Amino acid sequence: MDDKIRRIYIPMTESGFYILYCLQQPQHGYGIAQQVKKMTGAAVTISAGTMYGTLSKMEQDGLIRFCREEEKRKLYQITDLGREILDTEIRRIERLYKNSKGENCDE
Amino acid sequence: MNKTEIKVFTIADYEEEEIWLRQQHQKGWKIMKMIPPCFYIFESCEPEDVIYRLDFRNREQSEEYLQMVKDFGWEYVGQCVGWLYFRKKADEAQTAEESELFSDNPSKVEMITKIVKTRIMPLTVLFLASVVPNFIRFLDGEYIGPWGTVFGIFTAFMFVLYVYLLTHCGLKLKMLKKKYEC
Repeated sequence: MDDKIRRIYIPMTESGFYILYCLQQPQHGYGIAQQVKKMTGAAVTISAGTMYGTLSKMEQDGLIRFCREEEKRKLYQITDLGREILDTEIRRIERLYKNSKGENCDE
Repeated sequence: MNKTEIKVFTIADYEEEEIWLRQQHQKGWKIMKMIPPCFYIFESCEPEDVIYRLDFRNREQSEEYLQMVKDFGWEYVGQCVGWLYFRKKADEAQTAEESELFSDNPSKVEMITKIVKTRIMPLTVLFLASVVPNFIRFLDGEYIGPWGTVFGIFTAFMFVLYVYLLTHCGLKLKMLKKKYEC
């Protein structure tokens, strides 16, 4: 994985993580926001400007790609690179979670 | 009924502008059109609590962006020198984030960085490359005759205006950035 991409995206912002997570299925910006709001019991709400900015940047960096258009809304989906970043991030969060419970991670 | 207000907001005063537009709407004046540099045309309406938000897009707004902002419940009001104006009824925003265009600090800081890069930096270059040399020529008494005096006074005026604007905007944006960076 590109070192520069790694520096930018790991660790990820909370909004960034949820957006990438949701894009395992094709989805448009507002759809992602609704899904995140539902998943987190409205603890994480992503607003329009943040959503648009994050999607544009992730598309530019190759983490997601445009997949199709529905009624003027662009649908995006995760790429292999995005998948790699997401998995790395999930492992990092799992480690944090374990450690926070006082457990140690295996070598 | 319409009214026109003259009010000056610099590029760093967008949060004040949002509050002012909201207050106008609460008093029953709904913004219709912004005409650069400082004219605001309002239409009378029912007094209502409506949140206003400004986004600095420079010239890169797209259909896709406008559609997305609309999806999030914002009404597009219009644009004025690189700024897009949006509004939403206060009671339609259920959470603090829904009353904002930018829900996290990195994206707020990013907008500020964009303002500095596309507006403040070019203005600074113009200031150093043109306003300052002209002003020095004026101080050296190089502008002679009635037209020279007129141009000299104009140069001095521009110098003062630039110094004020660059200092005010520079400091204000720095302060805003600091507020959102922690």
